[in-house]
Amino acid sequence: MEPATRLDHNHQLTLKDFPYIIRWRDDRCKRCGRCTAVCPMFSIEPSVILRRTIHSEGPTPQPKAVRQVVTVIKQSTDINRYCTGCGTCTLVCPNEAIEPEYNPQHKFLFHKNRGGYPYRRGGRRNDPRLSTLDRLKFTRISMLTDPALDAGRHEFRIRTYLGRILPAEELPLRFVNGRLEVDKTSGKFIPPVREIYPVMIGSMSIGALSPTMWEGLAMGVTYLNEVEGMPVVMCSGEGGMPQRLLKSRFIKYFIPQIASGYFGWDEIVRTIPHMVEDPCAIEIKYGQGAKPGDGGLLMAHKVLRLIAEIRGVPMGVDLPSPPTHQTKYSIEESVAKMIQSMSMAWGFRVPVYPKISGTRTARAVLNNLVRNPYAAALSIDGEDGGTGAAYNVSMDKMGHPIASNIRECYLDLVKQGKQNEIPLIAAGGVGKTGNLAANAAALFMLGASAVAIGKYIMQAAAGCFGDEYNRCNICNIGRCPRGIATQDPKLYRRLDPDKVAERVVEVFKAVDVELKKIFAPMGRSTELPIGMSDGISADDPAIAERLQISYAC
Amino acid sequence: MKKVVLKGKVNGKRVPSRVFEEQIQEAVRNGARELHIIADGQHGIGGRIWPRGETIRVIVEGPVGQRLGSMGMFGTEIIVKGSASDDVGWINCGAKITVLGDVTNGAHNAAAQGILYVQGGGGARCDTMTKHNPRFDPPQSWYFRDVGDTFAEFKAGGIAVVCGVNPRNPNNILGYRPCVGMVGGVIYFRGPIQGYSEDDVKLLDLTDQDWEWLKQNMKPYLEAIDRMEYYDELTVSKDAWKKLLPYTAEERAKRRPFKMSISEFRSRIWEEGVGKGGIFAEYITHPMTVLPYITTGADRRYKPVWNNNKYSPPCEHACPSGIPTPKRTQLIRAGKLHEALELILQYSPLPATVCGEICPNLCMEACTRSQLDRPLNIKELGKASLKVRAPRPAERTDKRVAVIGGGPGGLSAAWHLALKGHRVDLYEADKKLGGKVEFCIPKERLPRDILRYEIDRFMEIGVKIHLNVRVDRDRFQEIYDTHDAVVVACGAHKPRMLNIGGSEDMVTAYDFLKGINLGKRPDLKGKAVVVIGAGNVGMDVAAQAFHCGAKEVTAIDIQKPAAFGKELEIARSLGTRIIWPRFVNHYDKKENRLYFKDGSSIDADFVVVAIGDIPVTDFLPPSVHTDRDGWIEADEVGHTSDPKVYAIGDATRLGLVTHAIGHGRRAAEAIHAMLTGRSYYRPPTRPVIPYERIKTVYYDLCREETRDIEKEADRCMSCAVCRDCHMCEITCYYGAISRTEYEDGSFAYVVNEDECIGCGFCAGVCPCGIWEMVENV
Repeated sequence: MEPATRLDHNHQLTLKDFPYIIRWRDDRCKRCGRCTAVCPMFSIEPSVILRRTIHSEGPTPQPKAVRQVVTVIKQSTDINRYCTGCGTCTLVCPNEAIEPEYNPQHKFLFHKNRGGYPYRRGGRRNDPRLSTLDRLKFTRISMLTDPALDAGRHEFRIRTYLGRILPAEELPLRFVNGRLEVDKTSGKFIPPVREIYPVMIGSMSIGALSPTMWEGLAMGVTYLNEVEGMPVVMCSGEGGMPQRLLKSRFIKYFIPQIASGYFGWDEIVRTIPHMVEDPCAIEIKYGQGAKPGDGGLLMAHKVLRLIAEIRGVPMGVDLPSPPTHQTKYSIEESVAKMIQSMSMAWGFRVPVYPKISGTRTARAVLNNLVRNPYAAALSIDGEDGGTGAAYNVSMDKMGHPIASNIRECYLDLVKQGKQNEIPLIAAGGVGKTGNLAANAAALFMLGASAVAIGKYIMQAAAGCFGDEYNRCNICNIGRCPRGIATQDPKLYRRLDPDKVAERVVEVFKAVDVELKKIFAPMGRSTELPIGMSDGISADDPAIAERLQISYAC
Repeated sequence: MKKVVLKGKVNGKRVPSRVFEEQIQEAVRNGARELHIIADGQHGIGGRIWPRGETIRVIVEGPVGQRLGSMGMFGTEIIVKGSASDDVGWINCGAKITVLGDVTNGAHNAAAQGILYVQGGGGARCDTMTKHNPRFDPPQSWYFRDVGDTFAEFKAGGIAVVCGVNPRNPNNILGYRPCVGMVGGVIYFRGPIQGYSEDDVKLLDLTDQDWEWLKQNMKPYLEAIDRMEYYDELTVSKDAWKKLLPYTAEERAKRRPFKMSISEFRSRIWEEGVGKGGIFAEYITHPMTVLPYITTGADRRYKPVWNNNKYSPPCEHACPSGIPTPKRTQLIRAGKLHEALELILQYSPLPATVCGEICPNLCMEACTRSQLDRPLNIKELGKASLKVRAPRPAERTDKRVAVIGGGPGGLSAAWHLALKGHRVDLYEADKKLGGKVEFCIPKERLPRDILRYEIDRFMEIGVKIHLNVRVDRDRFQEIYDTHDAVVVACGAHKPRMLNIGGSEDMVTAYDFLKGINLGKRPDLKGKAVVVIGAGNVGMDVAAQAFHCGAKEVTAIDIQKPAAFGKELEIARSLGTRIIWPRFVNHYDKKENRLYFKDGSSIDADFVVVAIGDIPVTDFLPPSVHTDRDGWIEADEVGHTSDPKVYAIGDATRLGLVTHAIGHGRRAAEAIHAMLTGRSYYRPPTRPVIPYERIKTVYYDLCREETRDIEKEADRCMSCAVCRDCHMCEITCYYGAISRTEYEDGSFAYVVNEDECIGCGFCAGVCPCGIWEMVENV
């Protein structure tokens, strides 16, 4: 007798329930198996099916049944082997015979909680709508002449400052023989300031990223500094940094991050006496825009020798970064003591700033920093940021968009007359739809001194498949088909770090041109138009009102 | 030649540019061919004069306005006796303009033809946007000293010469960032410069052709600006001059936007700074070369493994005797029918009796084929082995093993031990072998000649049989002392009785069935028979009761009846009523009624208790542990607490005949292992192959029932046993799979690792579930 479970179709899913349905073309397929060899989820598998056709070829009905068993590519209806739509099959298919197709009627979230485990994934907020940033445009075309400046001919100074800038009257300066000199006897602290490119690569850890991806980014950043003279900097993400980089002169292009797991920091601290240069800055991570309140976990199977040594942990153990810093009891206390400690580590020569997730309470943190002489900046990470692993609910439903958050923080500084003192760094969805320069410029004009990018550079420099339709987004399981977010050498060796570096250089050079194309007709070439909000308009009155900018339609 | 003097200021009043222009045009129309102009800053002097083939000379003095000579035409010659203002020669269309002084910003901007000779230097943005119309000579611009910033931007044609004599900035005669956007023409210059737009132009030496042109055209220039004395100095050496030439469109298209290739950057800067191999080299042991998405060999993520026989087929797994049916069907398909029928004797001495007749055939219940049509007829295969001769036992050993009990378990243990060559003594209390099979199975269900035939075959293999020997404590001790191992297979023969009123008036199933099989049939004509216990034994009792003439038979049980298979079928077909749950309270023989605990009762002329049997094991020494009811504590291979004593079959717990046979075989294996000095024996455990691994679509529906075992062998889906069908070999696109045959006639499908990409097609198409994909570590 057939066991009852076998007859129970009630708890089986159909392909219609899945977010991506494989469109496989029998007539084009030569059964070479390339697609099934690369599918990261084993969503597709070779199988056999029976076809039975009835032919009648004579002048009268002369039926003949033809039975044929043929090899096919079959899509699994096992929820744990769901097709993510990554399209690696399409990438390797020599015959254009296979392609995942998005199914807008899917019921994925109704089912992806088997075993009582909520859906966890990597990637971004699955919201393909235009962000506020993409609804802003630059409407103030300067009529000094039309245009004011020529992006190709004029020289632009696209630079920003990372660090606290004291007002002129507070600088301990004195005249000596008709020259200005720093008065070292005043005992006054002059905060360290770095001049950097206003688009930086945001924090992505070694561990979340593969070694090929991370080194590619690091090489690209170094190339931009060393060869192109563009002072682009990159944040390490939590998870330490390799000794070779810490001890090299290139460390000045990097911002080591310290987060709640403190991974790799004993290795970094012990290396300080051997460092030939100071790092660009230190970022203290309090939150991540993509997943506020959700910590991090680098799963044991990713903790191979490389990660273990850099992070200073044994191999093969889970590495949790809790959502909170364990010995701090309030953000005020936490920020004060962390900034103090990290500044002290490098003799107060390195700017130290916190990064928080976008929140309605960001101004409270900001005002605290304004009163902290050692705070170098505030980085705010909006909800459209990315992550290597998080609960879906944290990604989709937690967080604050960056545009209004940065705007209200900036206006708060303006009210206090401090807007030129403490820079704001904006992140989270910058370049979400590919308009990196436009999004960045809009954020500058809303008040950001710099922007940080993560997902954008992964998509542009390494071809990350992920998108807001939940395509791929499996950064958390170590099977990244592009070799970006995995520690499996068989996967990450697909990625050529030199190519990543080359793309980083191309991306930044192109962004630089585009920024000029935005700033030239607006007549700005000498300084970044931070807070130049009369230059932008929104296509929506509510957005315009909220951001205190004009509405243009 | 008519000469005219025009004054830009008359009676102390400046003539407006519009009026002055009209006066110039009027004068030329009236035949003036030499205009002497004393200007007062008027705009555009000397331009747009259409002299119709003649030459018009325009000599200008005084403050010159902007755009002198703009839109100047061929035939117009302008000489400015001093410096000129911005945009001299703007969109020059052929005029020759000589400025005996400096020009300010934008000189010759957008000039298309004509010549500009400058005695001094130029301001910013000179020579920008100049063109070369191929129908005319290109425009020329000559500057004696130097030029200002952003020189020659977007220059698209024409020749510019900067002589660098006595420059205002001795370190840079071309100003800041010349040549941005320059796409055509050439700039000859002499003297130091500080950079130029490297994206647009390249710095080159002069060719001989350039040099000839320069020397030749230098003379008229110097003559025009009255500086002939510099001719020698300016033409003393070609090497003193350089030229800036724009990249061609083709060159620009080919150019990579990189100042330095990434590979050069990696070796010259990156690795120089962080060490050879990059920042992670010291943590990584594998090569860092790039891998393609499709890999072979050790770089594959997954690889196929030919797991023939790794899994247990469902039939074999379900069979308590562990009979490997797919191996039999494989032999039959290979034309080795006899070997197939012989194979089963390696697993059971009673295939025709058990598989062929009395077994409920759990194998068939599990058969994958039933998902398609109906299970393989394994019963028929069992029957077919009836006439097979006993196999030849292995060479005799000197080990002696005693088996107590001649039921199916004992027969199985004795058979397998004898086949291994051991000397076996079999003790049976009764006068016949067969145990419950002989005594308790109704003859309708098992024709006794089949059993007899198989018992006779059993006798052929040299087991020493001691019938009518009841083993008691003393006898057991004697047997124990004289044998290397003892198998206790005494079965369970003591019927369990109910401890209720009237139980002394009930009959046990054991006595009832055994009596019938020994020829003592009770007369039940017209009687109402109640069977307490609706298991398979109860069903046998019910069927026999009908055969003895019972009017009606009711089987009752306290729970869902356990009866199944043929026993249930027969009993039901004869009219047995089964009711449950019913809890018996007492039996009143006088009333002939059986009372239940709920107060109800039924007619019961004759009551048979069929609630199971328990073993009688009081002959065992204390070293063999039994539980309170007498069941011997033994594991799956018969090990008891006494290392020399093995216990199997119903003596350990109740089961089917096939259970006892399997238990006997495994005990024989364990004893053999012990006797041959091998370690503690555990039967190999193989997981059953999941049904979904078997590709049933290959097989067509088979509608007619068949008893032809060769046809049946074809129907077998050969679960977990390679059919040798070559499906994998043919399917593999890369030809990575091949079949290898070994000397002993066995075969294997093997993978060429260097060709295989790990696509899983072999696993996906394998009809039998042999190929498996495993992580390639």
